[in-house]
Formats: sequence, C-alpha cells, structure tokens
Amino acid sequence: MKTGKNKLMSARQAVAKYVRDGDTLIIGNYTISIAFGLVNEVARQKKRGLTLCSQSGHLCDEILTAAGCVERLVTAYVMSAGSREGEYPVSRGLKKGELQVEDYTNFQYNARLVAGMHGLSFMQVLEGVLHTDIFRRRSFMRENKFKVITCPFTGKDTVLVPALNPDVCIIHVQRADKFGNAQYWGAMGSVQAAALASRRIIVSCEEIVEHDVIAASPHFTIIPYFRVDAVVEMPWGAHPSQVVGYYNSDKTGLAVLSMGLMNEDGGKAVLDEWVYGCPDHNAYMKHYVSIMGMDGLNVLRARPYYSTPANYGAAFTSVWDEEGKERTMGVSLDELEQIMKEKEVLYE
Amino acid sequence: MSKPYTLNELLIITIAKEIRDDENVVLGVGLPMIAGALAKALFAPRATLIMEAGIIGFQPTMPMENVADCTAFRGFSCSTDLFSTFTMTYRGFVDVCFLGVAQVDKYGNLNTTVIGDYDKPDVRLPGSGGAADFISYAKRTVLTMRGGQFVEKLPYLTSPGYLEGGDSREKSGHFTPGSGPSKLISTQGVFEFDPETKEMFLSSVHPGITVDAVKKKVPWDLKVSPDLHETRRPKDEEIEFIRRNFPTESISKALVLELGLANMARKLSA
Repeated sequence: MKTGKNKLMSARQAVAKYVRDGDTLIIGNYTISIAFGLVNEVARQKKRGLTLCSQSGHLCDEILTAAGCVERLVTAYVMSAGSREGEYPVSRGLKKGELQVEDYTNFQYNARLVAGMHGLSFMQVLEGVLHTDIFRRRSFMRENKFKVITCPFTGKDTVLVPALNPDVCIIHVQRADKFGNAQYWGAMGSVQAAALASRRIIVSCEEIVEHDVIAASPHFTIIPYFRVDAVVEMPWGAHPSQVVGYYNSDKTGLAVLSMGLMNEDGGKAVLDEWVYGCPDHNAYMKHYVSIMGMDGLNVLRARPYYSTPANYGAAFTSVWDEEGKERTMGVSLDELEQIMKEKEVLYE
Repeated sequence: MSKPYTLNELLIITIAKEIRDDENVVLGVGLPMIAGALAKALFAPRATLIMEAGIIGFQPTMPMENVADCTAFRGFSCSTDLFSTFTMTYRGFVDVCFLGVAQVDKYGNLNTTVIGDYDKPDVRLPGSGGAADFISYAKRTVLTMRGGQFVEKLPYLTSPGYLEGGDSREKSGHFTPGSGPSKLISTQGVFEFDPETKEMFLSSVHPGITVDAVKKKVPWDLKVSPDLHETRRPKDEEIEFIRRNFPTESISKALVLELGLANMARKLSA
C-alpha cells in the first residue's frame, strides 16, 4: 500500500531543510531515546538563536548550548545542573547572562504541548503552583508564562499556561516506514505531544520497516505519516541514551560526554571530537567503536522480550461471502444488477 | 544483633517503611526506587509502583537509571504518558510520593531550582521536574535528603510544603485536603510535622547519631519529639535483599564511580 510520499533522507538534508536559525526547536524525547544523532547534526550545522524546549534537560541541552546554538531554554529539569563535580554549559550560560531560562514543572511543560497538539490556545494546570516561585518568577515569557482565571463552572482559581507550538521537533523512535509513520513504545512521557504540537517534524529511527509492519500494529504509531517532514534511518541514533527493545544506555559513552562538558575546555574538546570531527552519525559510531571496540556496543544490545501480538483480525474483510453472495442481501453482483434493472432504479 | 549495614541501606529501609500495602506509589530514581522494590518484595506486595514518565505497575529487578527506564525489569502493567500520571495524582489516585531535597525550610517547602538570583544564579539546580505538582496532590509526600540543606529562608520556592505553617496550606483551597509532606528522612534521622503549627520536628535519630549533631545542621531552634526514639535497625533479610538486587545502591556514588573507573581501566588494558 502506498501511503503518501517517500520522506527518507539523510540527517544532514533533514536538518538543513527543516531547522532554521531563530527557530523554537523541541527535543521530543523524554529522558530516554534522546535524538542524539539529530542533536549533533543541529550542532554540526551551527544553527543559531534557537529557543530550545527540552523537558528532561539531558546532556543534549548541554551539547547544543556548548555549540552556541541556544539563546533561550524552556525546561522542567536541567539534569546536570547543581553537579558537585563541575559546571555544565547551561549553568555557565545562565551565570554569564548569555542564556535565559523559563522553568515549568513537568506537567506544565507537557500541558503547553497538549494544548498545542490539539490546537487549543491554553491548558489548565494544577493550582498548587500559585504558591511557588515557578509561578511568581518570570523570565522571557513574562506575563504570558501563566494566567489565572476564575473557572466559569466551579468558581475556583484556575491557572492556565499558553499553548506551545514549536517550529520544529527532532525525535528518535524505534521504527518508522518511509512515509513517516513513527512507532514508539515504552514510557510515553510527553513524546507524542512534543511531536504533534510542532509545525515541522524530523523523525530518526532505529530501523525503517515496511508499511505492512505498521499497518499490523497501528497502536504503536504515535505520529501519523502526514505530519512528518523527514524520516532518517539511524541505527544507534540515541546513543549513548537507551532505546527500549534495541539497546541499554551506554554509561561509558555518557561519562565521556559528561566529563568533557563539565568544563569549558573539555566541552570544546568533546564537540571537536564527537560532533565537528564526525561528518555524520555513522562516523560518530565508527569513531566510538575504534575506541571501545564492538564489544562496547554488543554488551548493550537488547535481548528480545516481545510484546504479545494484538489480534487485529476480523471474521471477514469483504462484503461477498464464499459463494459470491453479498452478506446482507444474499445476492451476487450479477443478481443485484438484474434486480436494479427490474426495479427501474438505473439511469441511462 | 543484626548484620552491619551501610547508611544507604538504612535510608532505603526507613523510606520503604512509608509504603503500605495496596497503596499507589510514585517513585523517583535513586533510593526511593529501591525502597519501592524492597517494600513490594517484603511487606507491601500489592503496592502499585508508578514512574511519572508513564510506567504503572512494575517490579524493578535492578536499579533504574531514570524515570523512563524500562530496562530494569521485565514488562509492566500499563504504559501511559506523563500528562496522565499527573492528572491521576490530581484526581486523588496517588497515596504517597517521594521527593529528594536540595533545600528545605521548617515548613517543608522545597527549593530545587536555584541558589542566588534566578536570572543570574550562583548555583543553578535541576528545577522542579515533577516535584511541585506531586507534593501538591499526592495524599502524602515523603521527603528524602542526602546532600541537602536545612535553611531559614529559601531563595526560591519550587515545591509547596506547608507554606507559612499553621493552616495556610489547607486554607488556600489549592491543594488536596490533608496532603503535604508527612516525613523527612535524612542521613541523621526522621522528621515529622506538627499537626497544628506544621513545623518540622525530630521524631527519631538513626543509631549512633545524637540530637546535638542533628541540631547543628538546622539553622532554627529545632523541636524534638518527647517520644524521640532510635530509628529501627535494618533486618538481615532487608539488607540482603538490597545487596543481592541493588548492590550499587548500598554504597556511595563516589565509591561506585571509583570501582567503575578501575573496571573500565582493566577492560581497556585487556
């Protein structure tokens, strides 16, 4: 079955075409399956002036900040902040006043995307936040960070956040077809909302599968093909984070990035070696293997633990029964046409 | 006399005792996750463990790396999204949640966002994550504190405890009635909150810790329960459960890192 057009392209083509300077860019993944391959490509192409939306504040934020791509950050968590071992690019940028941050809670961040994905202009969030500095302190969102109204039905104080519709989402999933149907499973986080709220969507995936695979398990599809702009096949595309069913997170790989990024010179060296020094993700993986050996990757590969197939079967998928009779009327097509003639319902 | 234990083991076991059978429990990564596994294995078999990324009904068999990590167990009951785990909490389906503390004041209000000015911080901390919403709507919140700090005044209030104390939280009408921090478990002892004033007081000290040592870390005049007791010592089966399944959690991160680096060096030179 043909479903839309073939959107397969390289990460370089996808990022060049769909990520623009000054964009609001969202990393669609939450905590795991981080689109590191696409993140590195954004850094490699030296995109500038981005407003970065990243919920889990993984090392991907630190890479993009170290690479000078980010001016503003919308987040719920900056994972490496407050480390006793060193200071990371986001923290350094904030201290120097080179980077602005707007803090939300995980729920509020997600709520802005849920409003965005459904085309609503705002979403209700939980009113306990009224008593916090998350509500009181505003950065670049200013008065539009939150609004409070009286609920017209209950009369209660109701806190609202505005919809968030990023210009572009980069996201890594387990599998997709070339048309863009993207399948993801595991803890769903805010992954689907991040993608669907966005105007443009770049999907990277562990493997491209035939459309038949998608059609037989549509409950895993979180982004329908017509919303997707680019599909990039990228095995190990979330390395060094984990992908459910494909590989565990690579603690050595994470440590290499982390220990480098925690100071300015180390950060430059990490970018030179792992981002600018590798023309694409394949080269990045080859470089990794040249240091750690294939064993370093092989020990991380997931052993299968298959989902039980869901039965999408039906008694029949045609109106004609085994004898060629229509199931409701009990007549064949020839007989039906004869009846049409007899009943004088046909027009010449 | 029971087996000797580490400080981490004592904390995990003390935290686990806050989980009751049949409860719905939101866990964070780290000690609470191990506590959840321990409680489920040894005394709360029907507790439902939940991670905010949307993992419901699981039993960890090894340490999870983050709130979305599905590699630390085989399968789980329901895969949902983050939005739904919070609305479930808002609707009252979560009995207890666990939050780590960076800074805490005497009414259990928390700061995990920033030290110094928000726009140009002295130290930037991770931020709220799920904390502010969980502490607002879970029926009980247990605070866990390893490297954290007791402070007179928070530079930034990330997550609401009992606000200005007394009935200020209840009166606002913005929280689940009766919710709020129920206990704070630190490396030195266990703290509870006065039912009237909502001020934190010391209710138990860990074995070998003196009240004076606890007071030294608290900048206000800490009240002490007239029924002050020693925290229950871990049982052998509890210690064994942790060491058998989660040995990296028995010891400090620094020691794990030291051993990990040595192991890596061995592998690279082989």
